Amino acid sequence: MKSQIRTIHQQLVNKEITCTSLVQEKLSLLKENTNNTVNSLLDTLALELAAKVDAKIAKGETLGLLEGIPFGIKDVYMLQGTYTTASSNLLKNYKSAYTATAIQKLLDAGAIPLVKENCDSFGHGSSSENTIFGAVKNAINPDLVGGGSSGGSAVNVAKDYTVFSIGGDTGGSVRQPAGYNHVYGLKPTYGRISRYGLMAYASSTDCVGPIAKSVEDIRIILNVMSGKDTKDQTTYASEEIKEENISNANGIKTIGYFKNFIESDAINSKIKSDFLASIEKVKAKGFKVKELDFFKSDILVSTYYTLAMAETASNLSRLDGSNYGNRIEDKNLKESYAITRSENFSEETKRRIVGGNQVLSQGFSDEIYLKGLALRDAISENFENDFKEVDIILSPVTPSTPPKIGDSLKDPHAMYLSDAYTVGFSLGQLPTLTIPQGTETGLQITASKNNDELVLKFANFLKDTI
Amino acid sequence: MSKIMTVDVLSSIKGAQPSEAVNKLFEVIKNAQSANSNSFNINHNNSVSLNELRDDVVIESSDLEKKIITENFPKEKKGYLVVSKVIEE
Repeated sequence: MKSQIRTIHQQLVNKEITCTSLVQEKLSLLKENTNNTVNSLLDTLALELAAKVDAKIAKGETLGLLEGIPFGIKDVYMLQGTYTTASSNLLKNYKSAYTATAIQKLLDAGAIPLVKENCDSFGHGSSSENTIFGAVKNAINPDLVGGGSSGGSAVNVAKDYTVFSIGGDTGGSVRQPAGYNHVYGLKPTYGRISRYGLMAYASSTDCVGPIAKSVEDIRIILNVMSGKDTKDQTTYASEEIKEENISNANGIKTIGYFKNFIESDAINSKIKSDFLASIEKVKAKGFKVKELDFFKSDILVSTYYTLAMAETASNLSRLDGSNYGNRIEDKNLKESYAITRSENFSEETKRRIVGGNQVLSQGFSDEIYLKGLALRDAISENFENDFKEVDIILSPVTPSTPPKIGDSLKDPHAMYLSDAYTVGFSLGQLPTLTIPQGTETGLQITASKNNDELVLKFANFLKDTI
Repeated sequence: MSKIMTVDVLSSIKGAQPSEAVNKLFEVIKNAQSANSNSFNINHNNSVSLNELRDDVVIESSDLEKKIITENFPKEKKGYLVVSKVIEE
């Protein structure tokens, strides 16, 4: 698909549409939607900003590419003065006191925020059912889950309710819902985009991730949000990715894929055959294809969840109802903390906090947490060696098609295992893009660290190849 | 402090118990072979070098930020923000 950002920009510049009518139309669609994608609408703010864009057009002033482009924000990002609930009971009345760096950069470029989007509470889930706002329904088949945790964001983009949305990806939370709803979703290299103002889930893998309908739109948004930020010291300075640099696949010679992902008993037979057919098409274009060895899926999933739970137990310990949140009073401070957290956290969030505290406690940390860290190092080393031999790694996004609404909540362990193909790249902090092609839930394109450009380059190539 | 703390106390969640779904994940880790089990976070050192550390500066919050922080506070009485009764033990 063509860049929607460029198309709308041209329509605004040519005065074929007004920004106010565009924003009003999207707001109406969001308001009426039955997919449960909306936590709160930012109608007053959006219409005010749209009027300013229209005034600028009327005066004949030059319009920036993102000026007047409506977008959505996963409800875990701070945007000053708006409700930021993390889809949780604890923060259902919490208002952001400041704005996240990534969101501020989009505002500075003139993009217009429309909506805070439904997601799994605190990012804890792979189906967007763990939310107080009702399960997000899949854009293609509403009986199925929207995917998670950035489910509302992916569905809004797929349904054209937003031109693009900003999700958050810790273990696959942008890439998996993008795959389930047939859109593009990028997890950039860790540190490329500032996490300041993104509610922390697992700080060592949390990434800001754009969701859109074309590679070009992903490129535009990524460039705007990237860069070093003193408020997040894990960020690094990156170069702008130029459109002409990703227009062909020159320089990409060898493609790898993980043999054990495809030979696993857990993979759906159609996803497997479609993936292998895609590999054949890539081969037919003259690329060398290499089968790679990788860690077993259960080790990847267990390593990821062990570390993510440890980090989330620490990050969420601040949520005790003292300074903000839905405090429930009890006989003393300690009891107030406990009752506030017990009553306000969802079952899945409590499961992860308890798991995290288990692995961090004396007696368990050596055999589980520290071993998890060592495994992560080994996984990283594996990637480093792989990228000496291949330029790109291609993978399915998920082993299965989206489950029916209700099924994931019944079996949390099965839900964890469904993240088998996404979590490894999170642990490696590698740039990975879901494209809506190749299998029913798409394909993931991964390159080495800081090589986000190569990912977009190959995505552009595949767009016309498979 | 040598007192043994259970996960419900550590997590500040009443009646919390370890779950079977999560324990299954931990079993996999316990049984996994790791080539460098003595290493500590070699490749994932996200710390910042001393030269890169930002200056320690005090930034005054805007009036709007202060107003929202106060608005978010769960309890107010006669213009004062009220905290829960402190622990006496």
